[in-house]
Amino acid sequence: MVRNPQNVTLSAAGVARGMTRLLPICLFVVPFGIAFGIAATEGGIGPLQATAMSGLVFTATAQFAALDFLNDPVAFFSLGLVALALSGRHLIMGAALAQWINRLPPGKRFLTLMFLSDANFADTQTLLQRGDTDLGPLLGGGLMLWITWVASTGIGAFGGDLLINTEAFGFGVVMLCFFAATAFGMVRSTPSLVLPVFVAIGVSAATLPYLPNGWNIILAALLGGGVAAQCHAE
Amino acid sequence: MLSDGSYIIAVSVLALIALGTRLSGAFLMAWVTPTPRIEKFLQGMSVSVIAALVASALVTADLKTFVATCSAIFIAALSRSVIWAMIAGMIVAAAYPQVF
Repeated sequence: MVRNPQNVTLSAAGVARGMTRLLPICLFVVPFGIAFGIAATEGGIGPLQATAMSGLVFTATAQFAALDFLNDPVAFFSLGLVALALSGRHLIMGAALAQWINRLPPGKRFLTLMFLSDANFADTQTLLQRGDTDLGPLLGGGLMLWITWVASTGIGAFGGDLLINTEAFGFGVVMLCFFAATAFGMVRSTPSLVLPVFVAIGVSAATLPYLPNGWNIILAALLGGGVAAQCHAE
Repeated sequence: MLSDGSYIIAVSVLALIALGTRLSGAFLMAWVTPTPRIEKFLQGMSVSVIAALVASALVTADLKTFVATCSAIFIAALSRSVIWAMIAGMIVAAAYPQVF
């Protein structure tokens, strides 16, 4: 990782590159977005409202989980806690990106963070570790994911009755392969991350039955970071 | 059913939490002076959050997903390409029911 990166930019060319880089991933977001649109409208939310929800929230896991709560009377507090657990990892990603992001002017910083998501974060890690200082790909990838997510929710919500089986499209599998390959690449370029990664894998898997979904990932990330810092100290 | 009022409050809660978590990580770090140790912590955390997402999903996944993900890691090791790893994972996932 580059320490104190200088000349951090947000170039239009970088944005375009990020959009292209994440295009293959986005193809697999489509069936998932359609499924959300259908599930939301079947749950009694209007098609326009479902699409607006995807545009404003842009967190697939939190949105699917929220559907269980969206019946009057709504348990707003529980809804908030679940959303916090499922989007809490964005806070960790934002902190990890801080040394680059915080060198941008406030407006660009805000714009880039608005579109922070798992896939563009993972994709950008590869670039930043290589020494790149352009955050364009982070924003571009995020925009591409957002456009795909909102458009496909709209298709599902308005085109309602068409049946779709998300499992058949292998969304989960492709996303997992992408994340696994990215993590593997990060460890290969920085071998000292082997121990933190195994700690994170162990902790998230072992605590999954005991911690509500989402919290196990946050705990694993914090412990993984702690181990990395400790290894450095020794 | 969901009334318009409930919808607006619920989506506002979700949107504020989503935006808040996205913005606050970088925002809070502005007050932290980065030392090499903190940088190691953040670097460890970045890879850990990705690895934890995978591990957490694999615990409850079927054997097909597990085998496909392992193939993707194997191909990532050979090819150094995330794209080829994804393609390999997809092929394995699609072929798995035919083979086993």
